[in-house]
Amino acid sequence: MDGCQSGVPTYEGDLHVVAAAHHIVKALGATKNLSDDLRKILIDLDSHLSMITSNIDSKGGRGLVDVEERLDQAERKIMRWETDPMMIWDSGPKEASDYLEAVDETGKLVDGLRGLSVHENRKQKEILHRAMNILQMAMSRLEEELIHILVRHGQQFEPKHMYSRSIRKDIVYDESFVSVEDEPIKETSSRNYSNDESGECIVDLVHADVIPDIKSIAKVMFTSNYGPEFCEAFISVQKEALEQYFSFLGTENLSIEDVLKMEWTCLSSKMNKWTWSMKIIVRVYLASEKQLCDQVLGGLGSVSSYCFLEISKATILCLLNFGEAVAMGPHRPEKLLRLLDMYETLACLLRDIDTLFSEEAGSFIQLQFHELLERLGESAIAAFEAFRVAISSNGSLYPFAGGGVHPLNKYVMNYIRMFPEYCNTLNLLLKNQHPGVADQVTEPDYGLDASLLTSCPMAYHLRSITSCLESNLHKKSQLYKDEALQHIFLMNNIHYLVQKVKGSELRLFFGDEWIRKHNAMFQQHAMNYERATWSSVVSFLRDDNPGSSSMSKSTFKERCKGFSVAFEEVYKTQTSWSIPDPELREDLRISTSLKVVLAYRTFLGRNLAYTDDKCVKHTVEHVENSLLDLFEGSSRSLRNSRRW
Amino acid sequence: MTGTDQSSFLGRISIRRNQVNAMEGYHEQEIEDLELFQKQLSDRFAELLSAPDDGPTEAFLSISWIRKLVDVFLCCETECKAILLMERDAAQISKPPLDRLIPELLERVVKAMDICNAVTNGLELVRHCQKLAEIAVSALEQKPFGEGQARRAKKALVSLMSAMHVDDKESSVQKTAERSWSFGRRSGNKDRHHGHYRSLSWQVAKHWSASKQIHAMTMNLAAPRGPEASCLPAPVYILSLIIVFVMWVLIAAIPCQERSGLTTHLPINKHVNWTHSLASIHDKIGEEWKKKEKKGMAGLLYEMQKMEKLGQSLIEFTDSYQFPGEKEKLDEVAAQVAELAEVCRRMDEGLVPLQMLIREAFHRLVRNRTEFLDVLEQGGPVV
Repeated sequence: MDGCQSGVPTYEGDLHVVAAAHHIVKALGATKNLSDDLRKILIDLDSHLSMITSNIDSKGGRGLVDVEERLDQAERKIMRWETDPMMIWDSGPKEASDYLEAVDETGKLVDGLRGLSVHENRKQKEILHRAMNILQMAMSRLEEELIHILVRHGQQFEPKHMYSRSIRKDIVYDESFVSVEDEPIKETSSRNYSNDESGECIVDLVHADVIPDIKSIAKVMFTSNYGPEFCEAFISVQKEALEQYFSFLGTENLSIEDVLKMEWTCLSSKMNKWTWSMKIIVRVYLASEKQLCDQVLGGLGSVSSYCFLEISKATILCLLNFGEAVAMGPHRPEKLLRLLDMYETLACLLRDIDTLFSEEAGSFIQLQFHELLERLGESAIAAFEAFRVAISSNGSLYPFAGGGVHPLNKYVMNYIRMFPEYCNTLNLLLKNQHPGVADQVTEPDYGLDASLLTSCPMAYHLRSITSCLESNLHKKSQLYKDEALQHIFLMNNIHYLVQKVKGSELRLFFGDEWIRKHNAMFQQHAMNYERATWSSVVSFLRDDNPGSSSMSKSTFKERCKGFSVAFEEVYKTQTSWSIPDPELREDLRISTSLKVVLAYRTFLGRNLAYTDDKCVKHTVEHVENSLLDLFEGSSRSLRNSRRW
Repeated sequence: MTGTDQSSFLGRISIRRNQVNAMEGYHEQEIEDLELFQKQLSDRFAELLSAPDDGPTEAFLSISWIRKLVDVFLCCETECKAILLMERDAAQISKPPLDRLIPELLERVVKAMDICNAVTNGLELVRHCQKLAEIAVSALEQKPFGEGQARRAKKALVSLMSAMHVDDKESSVQKTAERSWSFGRRSGNKDRHHGHYRSLSWQVAKHWSASKQIHAMTMNLAAPRGPEASCLPAPVYILSLIIVFVMWVLIAAIPCQERSGLTTHLPINKHVNWTHSLASIHDKIGEEWKKKEKKGMAGLLYEMQKMEKLGQSLIEFTDSYQFPGEKEKLDEVAAQVAELAEVCRRMDEGLVPLQMLIREAFHRLVRNRTEFLDVLEQGGPVV
């Protein structure tokens, strides 16, 4: 371009050359599909050519006059708005394009005059300064217009439309493990939002209609070297919009100290909210912001990614800091599922983050994400261990009344019922926990292949958790003095365990072998119970002398009495025991009935001669009916009932 | 700078501990380790103290000086932890008075993490100032220079000044955050440029206050006396003091949420050798803070102070500038612009690395806390 300037033509012929060149440039400029760089070169060339022309003319003094006229015209258009209370872009497209044209013209004149300023023409210098003054005024104005457009046409979107936010039932933890009831948990509804975000949602953060306006402001500001001003204004508005959206989502800044001191219920809901906000902010908001930056600043090298980083950095760090605070908090068992939620969220956003912040300047953010992911993983494992420890160390001083299903058992089984949803993550995290298990594992994705599921790391850990649970339950059973009740307790609890496994996806991880084994186990306890309770009772009815037809009356009387007393005793005690599962209760009653009622009937049948005697306190029917009262959990007595 | 020192120091401790763990004379070795550590600390702080008040490189409280300070902090932290934890029986850590001192230390660590985050936010403001100063520089460097460029520079400088004189009070944050957009012609746009740096992301949390954090961190921080001064309570005190001190310097230097009433007193035990330089640095910054605090300012960061001075002077120039301007004045301004450009260049070079370094310090504190907690857990509660 220096060549152009130094070779200012001095004779007529050159004028024609310049005019021809001018035509060519104009024709080229009219072509569509020009790259922005090329277009800028053409515009520069155009202004230089017009300057050369005016300079040639200036031989006769006409050139500068022409330039001055053009500047006057542009100035009028620009100055008119300095006193106008309306915003230009609000006033209509014609006004806006007139204004841009005037700014463009001023810019060209500035460029052209600068190129010629070597000539130290005083008049020329004066015009240049005037032009630069006008340009500064216009740039200042454009900055305001930009802010106004961004604010006025900024759009907030409702997160509800993006994701259906499902509320997962939260298992409330308390030290005694008593708060969990056996409510059915809808397993499918809870996490359906985590899988359907493969498609990115991009929204218009700024109304699509005004994007060309913003672009045209960007273009003219960057052409006039006011790029930094454009960026600062653009960043300031968009950054604040993001922060407003952030608080609109209900996410607030929390200090680490606050998070560490927070109560679990409150923290749990904040962790939930974090998981939710993180997805929306990254997948929707930042993806859209990135698009906006690219639309507006696309052709300007690294400017777009610089602006994007500046806009998003503070909010991202704020989200990350909450994650850090959660990960460093005490590793309590109840945190496990929430931590896994956070881990999974972050893991599935990593690719988005890596794309959004792919430039070198953004690698800092990338790194922070990766670090947090690792930390959350460690924290989840620690919570998992804490869960196991809590199960093993849950101690009781007194036996659990009635021998029913212990709350610890309910808590643990209802909790681990959710683990299959986190199967892949847990497998990934647990893989390194027990080297022995990891060796067997070759394929990290276990899919639904049942034969593999039972040998994945999670399955191993699940079984180890239930075996911790079983040994704790055994310990708890020892607290009962009555051996029969020990068996009832274990039967109830192991039955519950098996039911929970069979009734959920857990069965795939525990496998048929485990289920068979545990079925046998609780059946064994049922048999042991029968032996412990009824053997001594039935022994009264035994025929000591099978060869002879009947026993002596006194023996009969004695046996009868013994039986009644023993039976009444059992009745009194065992009506207060509990078998919560109706089927199990029914089964046990039937098998007890078979044993006791049959023996009693036989006993009475053999000794028909004596049955009128008062010593037969209970009829067979009465015994049979009485058995139905057992295990209902409320103590009753036969002594006070009507006598026969 | 102290990389090799440090690795040899750590190696020394580790070898010692392995060799003498079960032997006699363990305690003497420990005292020796501690003395060596204090000697190193003393040297490091003396080096920091020796930085010139003004000058092209590593001036006192400059970005590069602060980076050095944070480096020193990271080294101390590693070494202190080595003295406290390396090859040590967990039960020792959970005995009195450590069962009280360590949890107190960990509380300070948590507060320091929040301060690191507040300072990271503050550095965003410093970066914003840098961008505005760069605009002013580029306008003032324009040739030919005219009133248009003077106005452009002034606009940037005025924004710079109001961004610098950030009011870190909570009330102003609220006001900024709640201010609704004004769509009327040009109203409400005046302070837009720095408004957002005081908005939501500036906050660590509602009602959080940097000065209160420092105050809380100094509570119960007392130098161990008598026999305790030469055993485990000593490194706990050293680590605590250094954390509080470094955080205090960061807050004084870099703008962050609510600094009013920042205490200028830290419980530094001046009777031991290693604290001499540290105490001098503390006094020097404390004096400076008292002088500047009332004015409401962006912090004692050398580059910001310099920027403020130059900015003020350049605003005066742009205010009274008339084309073409006196040659003498223009030369004077050119020198100032060159100086401002140099400040911008140093910020451009140093701010991002400083931000990363502070993030590293944050992560280090996180890990540090975890390690202590693990050891405490192993030691179990002392019944």
